[in-house]
Amino acid sequence: MSARPLRVVGQPVPRVDALEKVTGRARYVTDLTVSGMAHAKVLRSPYAHARVRRVDVTRARVLPGVFAAIAGADLTWCDPYYGPAYRDRPVLAIDVARYEGEPVAAVAAVDEATAEAALELIDVDYEPLAPAMTLEEALAPGAPLVHTGQPPAGHFADLSTLRPQPGTNVCHQFHFARGDTAAALSGADVVVEDAYRFPSVQHVALEPHAVLAAWDETGGLTLWASTQNPYSVRVELAKMFDVPLARIRVVVPHLGGGFGSKTYAKLEPLAATLARAAGRPVRLAASIPEAFQTVRRCASRVNVRVGFRRDGTLVAVECAADYDVGAYADIGPRVVQKGTYTATGPYRVPHVRLESRAVYTNTTPGGAFRGFGVPQLAWALESLFDVAADRLSRDPVDLRRQNFLAHGEEFAPGDTPIDGKLEESLGRAAEAIGWNRTGAADRGRGIAAMLKASVAPTVSEAIVRLHADGSVSVLASAVEMGQGTRTVLAQIAAEVLSVSLDRVTVVQPDTAVTPYDQTTSSSRSTAMTGRAVQIAAEDVREQLLAVVAQRLGLATRDLALADGVVVAPSRRLTYAEALALRFGMSGGELIGRGVIAPGRTAAPLGGSTPFWEMAVGAAEVSVDEETGAVRVERYVSVADVGRAINPLTLEGQDEGGVVQGLGHTLLEEMLYADGHLLNGTLLVYRVPRADDAPSELECRFVENADGSGPFGAKGAGEGSLIPVSPAVANALARLTGVRLRDLPLTPERVWRALRARPPRA
Amino acid sequence: MKIRVIVNGRARELEIDVHALLLDVLRDGLDLKGAKRSCDMQVCGACTVLVDGLAVSACTYLALEADGRSVLTVEGLADGESLHPLQRAFIDAGAVQCGFCTSGMLLTARAMLAENAKPTRADVLHYLRGSLCRCTGYRKIVDAVLAAAENAR
Amino acid sequence: MTVLRPFTLHRPETAEEACALLAGLGEDAAAYAGGTELLLLMKLGLLRPRHLVDVKRIGGFGDISDGAQLTIGAAVTHRAVEQSALVRSRCSLVGSVARHVANVRVRNVGTVGGNLAFADPHSDLATLFLTLDSAVELVSSRGRRELPLAEFVRGPWETARASDELLASVRLTPWPSETAAAYVKFGVHERPTLAVAAALRVAGAHDGGGGRGDRIVDARIAVGCVGPRPTRAAAAEARLTDVSITDVEEAARAASDVAAASVDPADDLYGSADYKREMVAVFVRRALRIAAARARGAEPGERFPHAVVA
Repeated sequence: MSARPLRVVGQPVPRVDALEKVTGRARYVTDLTVSGMAHAKVLRSPYAHARVRRVDVTRARVLPGVFAAIAGADLTWCDPYYGPAYRDRPVLAIDVARYEGEPVAAVAAVDEATAEAALELIDVDYEPLAPAMTLEEALAPGAPLVHTGQPPAGHFADLSTLRPQPGTNVCHQFHFARGDTAAALSGADVVVEDAYRFPSVQHVALEPHAVLAAWDETGGLTLWASTQNPYSVRVELAKMFDVPLARIRVVVPHLGGGFGSKTYAKLEPLAATLARAAGRPVRLAASIPEAFQTVRRCASRVNVRVGFRRDGTLVAVECAADYDVGAYADIGPRVVQKGTYTATGPYRVPHVRLESRAVYTNTTPGGAFRGFGVPQLAWALESLFDVAADRLSRDPVDLRRQNFLAHGEEFAPGDTPIDGKLEESLGRAAEAIGWNRTGAADRGRGIAAMLKASVAPTVSEAIVRLHADGSVSVLASAVEMGQGTRTVLAQIAAEVLSVSLDRVTVVQPDTAVTPYDQTTSSSRSTAMTGRAVQIAAEDVREQLLAVVAQRLGLATRDLALADGVVVAPSRRLTYAEALALRFGMSGGELIGRGVIAPGRTAAPLGGSTPFWEMAVGAAEVSVDEETGAVRVERYVSVADVGRAINPLTLEGQDEGGVVQGLGHTLLEEMLYADGHLLNGTLLVYRVPRADDAPSELECRFVENADGSGPFGAKGAGEGSLIPVSPAVANALARLTGVRLRDLPLTPERVWRALRARPPRA
Repeated sequence: MKIRVIVNGRARELEIDVHALLLDVLRDGLDLKGAKRSCDMQVCGACTVLVDGLAVSACTYLALEADGRSVLTVEGLADGESLHPLQRAFIDAGAVQCGFCTSGMLLTARAMLAENAKPTRADVLHYLRGSLCRCTGYRKIVDAVLAAAENAR
Repeated sequence: MTVLRPFTLHRPETAEEACALLAGLGEDAAAYAGGTELLLLMKLGLLRPRHLVDVKRIGGFGDISDGAQLTIGAAVTHRAVEQSALVRSRCSLVGSVARHVANVRVRNVGTVGGNLAFADPHSDLATLFLTLDSAVELVSSRGRRELPLAEFVRGPWETARASDELLASVRLTPWPSETAAAYVKFGVHERPTLAVAAALRVAGAHDGGGGRGDRIVDARIAVGCVGPRPTRAAAAEARLTDVSITDVEEAARAASDVAAASVDPADDLYGSADYKREMVAVFVRRALRIAAARARGAEPGERFPHAVVA
């Protein structure tokens, strides 16, 4: 670690891709064309559950301008199933359609109008079947089974022990226990319990899923994909088409948002299949309504029971959680176990019993969404904490502080100890919201905390190249989806190599060029990919110093790097000059490599979290009691990030996280009736608008350089979203005495609860 | 049919279908990719362009309506390499994340400032009510628009 | 669907030409102004007209003209209404409401005629215009007729317009100057859950400090969004007639309860029936309160979350 003050890390520098985005030059998948490219359209099941008896594409196939029209039955030349947990999802429905919107047939044509016209020429015979649309329906005895066979497992280490319940819609179960909760609860002075529901919500990235697939004459495949993990897509396609990994290339331009919706293969297998059938490149772009039919957050029903001693010590937590993962597992099983793992939140609790299930239903598949199972449980636990505080006549901030895990304390045996100071986040959030100041009579304040593990074990690799002119390339496969990772990686490399930021280029993720990175999700890119970049840059630095030291007959400790110059006691050499010395000419480069691969550990989830994400949210709300409309007037988020590599982009991320959290807290819910999604368009699915943002919104950071990431950094981006719903509900309860347990807190729901409230004493 | 449009200050003669949408003519015909297709139903604003200075949803606007008019896209905001104050403000304020809404936000703000050079925060919120962003939470976007208005005075 | 199916565009310059086209083309043709509703329906495949008859070049269709009544041509955009000095001087609330239709892009392109002819039950203008003795002018090859707005709008997306008729203009009878009014809409979605227009004509309002004879001589309340079409709440209006402007709070309560009892909403995405009914009561009361304050010369600053006040 350098003793010198940091030059560019920690600075609120403008993001490196800002200019191309404000000038309209940034390229997303649907901005790309390749010569001979065809346009794809997808025919989707109108039924939530139906046998697909016959799909006749013959009329579509012969429409002039159509290059290919395919159905599930045509997929005999590849393995048509994919999925990271279970390979249960067919590229096109085979024998059965399992959710409304499932792709049943697809067309590639000369233009979109022809493709649309071709879809109308496809005849499908469906035999509707009874669907299981909700957790209740899916878990009832004799429920329609979404899947009748046992699909093979997918490709992730932590899910190698999938535990389905055969003969039911339960595709995974997770259990975690310590101590004796039954005894602890019966001995507890205060026990509170309740059931909380979290709705199905949609990511609504403004750019829906899109992919451009092209096979080449050697049988290799190239895709430009709006994906958060090109390497996961690559491995899926390699398995499906039996092509070596080295022959599949996934390139990722800018993403117009992700939030988890673009993790793991979504439309890439279909695009690649169509491209093969069409014999030409195919671009497949989903619409927003189609995004609603591709992936969503896993809805949940959670029962939590917590026991406290009279002195406020938390003694036991029991949690039974059911997550609705939709028609295909996607990464649902990991969402379930990851989320449940921290069901106890950021608290010390000796007796724990956690049980959760991933349940199939005949709805859009549930997958990853910012928070990854934790919002659903924090909604329950943090609400109950306030209920308990009320019963104990304790201040909710105080009760949390009393039970927080301490810095360095164990969360679970084998896992990383707590690497932050929850107390500090809590103190700053409470101070900022004015917790101890008397508030206006028409306002209520609420607080909530969160803790989340990052996915483990994972692997990130990076390459840094110092070119002959002293400029630098960073090759890493962390995907830029707006969160600013390209900028952060550039800052890290610039810092280590002591060059100005504008001398660093971060190459777009491209599996043929940028090395393996497992995923851009789980708040991990700064800590993990960033660390790999840091190591790679340090590798280059060491080589550079060694070159000059050797030439000058000095030790490397006699040298320093400063602003693109190697500084020796009596000489200064630019990097270009140093490289020229090394290679005897103007040419050549230094290449550094960084690998982060902590590997499996004894931690309960199979790997130790690289960092703990921890944050506190505090809300001040008002309510129009006559209509039930809740307004979040002020909100404070404090996240313990170790080191803010770029405070400006980080603040923007957390502001966005808070407002996105306000979405599922107050406005958003995918509504179904009679097997149909009622609000799959932005006309009737309501995301936050500019005037929904709190008038006062503060996002702050605790920086104690206590993370294992570069310069002491940890992760961020999910911590701001997770506390929002319980903080708002707690504020509402403190203001009105009304406790709601189902999200979103729409005006009507709040109004109904207010009417049902017993008269206040 | 043929239409004559001034696109980003340049006179163009375009051969279009009667049923062509302005968004496709700009993106595919003129390679101006800045305006994006998102909700495709006039709700989100990602496809916003200015026709004779007025913001329209190019996704649901016939290209032929631009005949005899001027169209401004995000590519026409800067003056050569010299950024428009709004673009500068968005960069400085950190108001850009994924960038998909950015073109629409910039053009809508520009239309607003042409009508109202001294907007209040409420004015900005009124104008941007129909422009969605899922990344930023809007705060830095509103701050940037107000900063640009301030700097322009 | 992202692209449109091909169609032929006709651009008549007179109403006669337009009517002849509609008569000749029948069901294959659709009138086209801003296209904010029509083009969307065409993209969704719900309408597939092979002919579009553009009304924007027809003489007079883009005009707002004065007279005993205010006449707004069918092709006048919401923005033009918002910006019109004439509208501001004759009936400023119309301009204020136009300012809040949908979003700025729809306002720049969408038209008054298109809005009324589309007959969305959530239409702001249809609700407001019911309080302005509004009538629409329909023209066809068979002649010209005027229909009160309440007869023109029959139900959700259903009007009395025959397929060969063109909506040429809408006439409004501006309120007398001693009328104060308010329009409030409430809801979380793009289309509001309910809308209320309230206008109170007060006699003796010019007395300034002196006369205490300020009575409501004419109350008009229209409620939109909660039923198949916007309606006047006649029974509620009766509760306000002859009430003193200083007693309006109490009368407003009674009027709002009556208004709520007179609607029969359905459960849908915009709310359950009982919630909507209660919100009618709440917002009729609030709209009346604001109108009454305006009648006394005050401009109430109160605003409500998820509500727009014009």
